[in-house]
Amino acid sequence: MTKILHADCDCFYAAVEMRDNPELRDIPIAVGGSAEGRGVIATCNYPARTFGIHSAMSSAQALRLCPHLTVIKPDFERYREVSAQIMAIFRELTEWVEPLSLDEAYLDISGVERFKGSGTWMAQWLKAEVLRRTGITVSIGVAPNKFLAKIASDWHKPDGLFVITPEQVDAFVAELGVDKLPGVGPATAQRLKQMNISDCTELGRCSLSILVDRFGKFGHRLYELSRGIDRRDVKVHRERKSISAENTFERDLTPAQVIAQELTPMVDKLAARIDRHGTPASSKIFIKLRFDDFTTTTLESSAMLPSITNFTELFERAWQRGQRPVRLVGVGIRLLDAEHSRQLALFGAPL
Amino acid sequence: MKFSISREALLRPLSLVAGVVERRQTLPVLSNVLLMAGSDGLALTGTDLEVELIGHAELDELQTAGSATVPARKLMDICRSLPEGSIISLALEDGRAVLRAGRSRFTLSTLPAAEFPNIEQSKQDAEVTLPRKALKRLIDATSFAMAQQDVRYYLNGMLFELDSNAVRVVATDGHRLALAESRNELTVSDLQRLILPRKGVLELGRLLDDSDEPVTLVLGPNHLRARTGGYVFTSKLIDGKFPDVNRVIPKGGDKRLVAERGELRQVLARTSILSSEKYRGVRLYLEDGNLRVQASNPEQEEAEENVAVDYQGSGLEIGFNVGYLVDVLNVVGTEQVVMTLSDSISSVLLEAATSDDNAAPEFSARYVVMPMRL
Repeated sequence: MTKILHADCDCFYAAVEMRDNPELRDIPIAVGGSAEGRGVIATCNYPARTFGIHSAMSSAQALRLCPHLTVIKPDFERYREVSAQIMAIFRELTEWVEPLSLDEAYLDISGVERFKGSGTWMAQWLKAEVLRRTGITVSIGVAPNKFLAKIASDWHKPDGLFVITPEQVDAFVAELGVDKLPGVGPATAQRLKQMNISDCTELGRCSLSILVDRFGKFGHRLYELSRGIDRRDVKVHRERKSISAENTFERDLTPAQVIAQELTPMVDKLAARIDRHGTPASSKIFIKLRFDDFTTTTLESSAMLPSITNFTELFERAWQRGQRPVRLVGVGIRLLDAEHSRQLALFGAPL
Repeated sequence: MKFSISREALLRPLSLVAGVVERRQTLPVLSNVLLMAGSDGLALTGTDLEVELIGHAELDELQTAGSATVPARKLMDICRSLPEGSIISLALEDGRAVLRAGRSRFTLSTLPAAEFPNIEQSKQDAEVTLPRKALKRLIDATSFAMAQQDVRYYLNGMLFELDSNAVRVVATDGHRLALAESRNELTVSDLQRLILPRKGVLELGRLLDDSDEPVTLVLGPNHLRARTGGYVFTSKLIDGKFPDVNRVIPKGGDKRLVAERGELRQVLARTSILSSEKYRGVRLYLEDGNLRVQASNPEQEEAEENVAVDYQGSGLEIGFNVGYLVDVLNVVGTEQVVMTLSDSISSVLLEAATSDDNAAPEFSARYVVMPMRL
């Protein structure tokens, strides 16, 4: 029987800041970019959340909601260090750890014999150890699969622990709103609503053929999720699918300004990142543009080098789609998938 | 500028020169071909700023000398679709090029010849002359293995090494490698190394044939120029360090088999029908006197073939991208091919099977292909 544990640190970046500077503990703080520029909030602590502040909100907006908010510049070096400590604790329990980001991971605890195999006890131990050794609180969900474990970790956040046993799955899922399902965002939720579907009980009544017809491949996934089924394994070696660099500009730029000022440093930064990842084989280059009206477009081109010339051309083509001032540009490469790496390389470095 | 020319005299140089012209251009003049008509005929130039090709055609009649640039592909498509034996007249009239042939008339836009860029002449390090067929053979035997749009930009081309008695070329995409050598007396004192970009290699190859006519290579620090049969080809070089080839040519292979090249190629090509479309993996099972080739795809379809090979020794199971093997078998020039293997994670060496033990043959080629994990 598969047993998955999802661990999620509570407001991680803010938690690290509060741990290192206790004066911040009870006042509203946020970690993010500066409000003068285009900074956004990455994380905020619970006092800040009572003002309606949440991640991805612009720092300027956050300060309007809470003028005495302390906005701290992120120190990723330090967060990475703490993250490594936490992941190491996870690995003391099982080697089957799939980190999703610095502060979040799936653990496959199916084969763990310690704690008499009890997921609840393992979760309690992890929470206590992480708190004792790093000062960070973690919320944990335990369930028979990934998607339920993730929902469970969020259930009693912060400092939460919630277990869904196999026997409880059906009852739990039946009550679940479709917006809780992974991959269902506002647009899909709206489309489901138009079909008079708002929870998994209603979704579960929908036939597979109708779902596949309306949602394509994702319809099949919806069909399974509504029944509490999620076949994804915990992947210890998570596959990187792309390498990219992006930048939100201090102010909106014309395409000529982007090309003249921004593109070259961005492509250089990308080149450095590609280099740092051992120059893996890429299948495509892509550019992402966000216009001043927040519409976003992505354009890819296969079998091209990530050169400034190619990105300039791609940028010009992508810009034609919106023809508005540009707020954000990202450049990147898509990597060839793992199957490809079965092909061995002539020259040492992984391809 | 005003002249007339026969369709046949124009077509070959025009299509070669237009081949250099890229379909998508940033600079409008680069989609044009430069025409220069003078007493010594018509010179045609196409360029993409990396590769430049100048061709030459005899005129039927020159009325007014001069020059202009006209859209390369349109001019070529028009000439190609005119009836055989047409006499084409071309005249510059009010900034437009008017082409007449029989009862047809085409008016093409032009751009001033002065706007047409030419690749800067650079310093010359060496000049060598060899028969066209020797250079063609080198390129034909190896160009398939060049990388395409690889991040390691120096692989998107062909390494040329020239010394006083041989030309060696190497092409590799990081998974397989082709190396060929042609023995020719050359007028170079030191070893010359250069990387010709992929497009330059392919365009140069189109200028060559199997004749003994000479081709002269002018080697500069940043450019390679080739002159042959009235054509002047110039290409920028790739500035980069080509990987050390000797390091990846396998030496310790203890399993040497000889196979009929044509038969093996057919077996592989047939089996590949049922290999995974994207990765094209096939499994080879080598045993005494026999090579079993097996492929399967995600739909669980399977292909299996057996082919007799000359082999005695221990068995081996190894996987390859079938395309890489077929590419090699397509260019090996002999009836039989020799494969030398060692184990399932080491590369295979493929060579032509030669009957005589000539220590220094006029031409030789070797191929290295890395396996796929099974």
